[in-house]
Amino acid sequence: MKDLRLARQGRRTSRAKPVENVLREGLRLERVPDPSVVVLFGGTGDLAYRKVIPALYQLWRTNLLPHEFMLLAIGRRPYDDATFRAEIRTALEQHSRVLPLDPEGWGSFAERIAYLRLDFDDPAGFETLAARLDALDAEHGTRGNRLFYLATQPSQFSEIVAYLGRVGLDHETSDGGWRRVVIEKPFGRDLESARKLNRDVGKVFREAQVYRIDHYLGKETVRNLLVFRFGNGIFEPIWNRRYVDHVQITVAESIGIESRGAFYEQTGASRDVLQNHLLQLVSLVAMEPPATFEADALRDEKVKVLTAISSDPADTTRNVVRGQYGPGWVAATQVPGYRQEPDVDPESETETFVAARFMIDDWRWSGVPFYVRTGKRLPKRATEIAIQYREVPHRLFKDEGVEPDANLLAIRIQPDEGIMLRFGAKVPGLGLDVRSVTMDFTYGSAFNVDSPDAYETLILDALQGDASLFTRADEVEEAWSIVDPIIESWVTSPPPNVPDYEAGTWGPAAADELLARDGRRWRRF
Amino acid sequence: MTTETPIKLGEPNLRWSARAHSVAEIESELSRIWAAQDLTLETDGEVSRHVAARTSVMNLIVVARRPELAERCAATIQALTGRHPSRTVVIQSADPDGPSWLDARIEAHCMLPRPDAPETCAETIHVVCGGESGRHLSAIATPLIIHDLPVTVWWPGEPPFTSPAARDLLAGADRLVVDGSTWGGDGLARLQDMAALQATSRLAISDFALVRQSRWREAIASIFDDPDFLPYLRSLQRIAVTYGTRDETGAYGSTNLVKPIYHVGWLASRLRLSVVKPLAEAPRARPSGGRPAANKPALARGLVATLSDGRGEVGVVVRPVLSTTPSGTTLRVELLAERRGSELRADVTAEAETVHVRVWQDGVETLDRHFRAARRSDVDLLAEAIESGRRDPVAVGALRSAAALVGPGDGAS
Repeated sequence: MKDLRLARQGRRTSRAKPVENVLREGLRLERVPDPSVVVLFGGTGDLAYRKVIPALYQLWRTNLLPHEFMLLAIGRRPYDDATFRAEIRTALEQHSRVLPLDPEGWGSFAERIAYLRLDFDDPAGFETLAARLDALDAEHGTRGNRLFYLATQPSQFSEIVAYLGRVGLDHETSDGGWRRVVIEKPFGRDLESARKLNRDVGKVFREAQVYRIDHYLGKETVRNLLVFRFGNGIFEPIWNRRYVDHVQITVAESIGIESRGAFYEQTGASRDVLQNHLLQLVSLVAMEPPATFEADALRDEKVKVLTAISSDPADTTRNVVRGQYGPGWVAATQVPGYRQEPDVDPESETETFVAARFMIDDWRWSGVPFYVRTGKRLPKRATEIAIQYREVPHRLFKDEGVEPDANLLAIRIQPDEGIMLRFGAKVPGLGLDVRSVTMDFTYGSAFNVDSPDAYETLILDALQGDASLFTRADEVEEAWSIVDPIIESWVTSPPPNVPDYEAGTWGPAAADELLARDGRRWRRF
Repeated sequence: MTTETPIKLGEPNLRWSARAHSVAEIESELSRIWAAQDLTLETDGEVSRHVAARTSVMNLIVVARRPELAERCAATIQALTGRHPSRTVVIQSADPDGPSWLDARIEAHCMLPRPDAPETCAETIHVVCGGESGRHLSAIATPLIIHDLPVTVWWPGEPPFTSPAARDLLAGADRLVVDGSTWGGDGLARLQDMAALQATSRLAISDFALVRQSRWREAIASIFDDPDFLPYLRSLQRIAVTYGTRDETGAYGSTNLVKPIYHVGWLASRLRLSVVKPLAEAPRARPSGGRPAANKPALARGLVATLSDGRGEVGVVVRPVLSTTPSGTTLRVELLAERRGSELRADVTAEAETVHVRVWQDGVETLDRHFRAARRSDVDLLAEAIESGRRDPVAVGALRSAAALVGPGDGAS
């Protein structure tokens, strides 16, 4: 207002609009990232081999990476460029989304792979890294643009970032050379460590340079959730407390902890899934429409949702259920209990299942519970968001056989990505029987096209400087401020009586009671 | 009738085929396909399963006046069956002066992406119309489309935009797909007719000639992503487009110019440049000595035009060079801008797999960049056209400006 008043009085002119590249209009999908080097820390690790490098290869072979591109993998193993390339070829033959490898595509991609042996705690090594990057710029025309991708142990994030800063690799150059850092989850293991990590990263990089990656946000159906909500006129008017009875979000896994016993013992379902994937899905379902489809507008709305989630400690005890699987059968195979898994303490209390009832205290959702659950060794792999609508206000057909269930909208994220709407219909015949039927949209039958892997989407976005699908520092901290009290309450509560669910079942009985208390039940898959 | 061909995973498989001789018979056959309870298939010689889903995301009407065109289109559509399941109606005319008749082949193609996935199917109706009936395209297509789904008309060859038959058919369509680079002569009169159609309807138009240039647009736009170069964008002095021709005279009208003109149209529309002087033949250069060579005529200097952004004029040159590339292929786009005594010159060229950008600022080379972008096949272009939603403002603007650049139209098609 002050600016406007001063402008009217002729004392201040309105700020000139920045000049835009109007030739870019309408070319978003065709934009190729700037010439750049991806510097991959943890270049010989599992994540690099299974996800990051296959994603880069796929982007390369579909011409979505610039001609002036280099991948510089950093690791401790004594490789040279040639041995590393041979390793990558083997990894791609196992993990590439499109097989067999395209010889021409692989050949040109291989020429753009380099390897640097480096101990992450060796300051001199980072000087070598800086010199190597300068040499790559000179040789390959990558123009000082660098994406530092931290695919390492989380405990090494702060140290690597600090060393990058110490040798000046964070500085964006005056001739337009950008520097960005991608950090893999987990972003801390509680609120305090998350704040410390954010502070450590913030000492070196500006927030706009930081891309915290939660691969769930790159999944096609998660992105489609935004299109579904804000690109269709008919759903948004009924997306609120007036019509919605409750929301259920399930992230179910049939697998156990595989070979990650040591990691999982330190993490549990709350840190592994609830703090990130589940709360991200809650915020995408509950957020208000952003003013623009830009990173900060989107993330501002998500943060508002997280801030509005009630965090009364008394609620925590009452509204959260944890569990741990015992031995059982999954998909006709006998599987051990969690405590019998390798690298797991036989007396472990780590939760492999968590369910929670969240209330969002805002105008749209006041009084509408959001039930979320995630677990290992559940009967099947399924990720779904279910919007359960209210019953009709007057039950007109109550005397006519079976009453239809209330309407339900289910958004399946995996597998069989799609959207299902359940409604009542008359059974053909002379009577007036009403049954629930479904309208089912599956991506697989409407679009027979392979969706890009989430890592392809997110790495391309990071190279293009689009942070919409990345998590901002305040989002991370808000999510921890919801999950921290839950974990803390378990520290002071009596030891749980675990295992409390059999592998191959839908979690402990207490999870069912969480909904039964409200007169509701979990959806069965 | 059902077919008994062994199923191939991930490929469209012919699962039903029937013939009909009237629109009513076609409709009846279409109903029979999906009512057939015995529409089963064999996998590994024993497992039998029902077709899981008939799938349509759109109607695709193909107007192929000649049999060879129809065959080429059918092959392209076949490659897209799995990617974009649609009801496809291919309409082909035959013997226009004879009696009216209709012969249709109705086919269901199904695709099984994986052994454990549902099989999805879509229909293709290939209609050959003889005599007068072939002139009433809308009367054939309209009863056969699935209502409430978008209708795309793919019109390869030379669409007669101003004819009543085209008008009627396109009145019920949402999108028109053409390839302006295949039109006869220089193609510019038809381009103007298409622009007029765009201006008077809500039709979204996808021209392969324009879509193919996306790699050029990306490369040209990337120059001005550089903050140092961006201010020059508003101080453009000259746009020069060089195209290949096999005509040794390079005479105006002998080579299709749709693609080169689209480059200028795109730049003009994005930069809000209006036409001061439309395209006209540039004065023919005389060889040194003032006399034409005895055996070889001088290559025409092409066309020139003048645009304006309201502050200054922008010269346009569209010139031919002899080349073995298909006639009308863009070979080079050059931009010249001057700002406060400083000059920026950009030179963009393309090869089969790459586009090459070079920029000089005050005579010093400051950018040399390659873009990896292969030329795209008709399958890719059709897929992109189908995937486009509403009107693309970039395409709308480029066509409008290109037509304005050509000058007042005379409805030549």
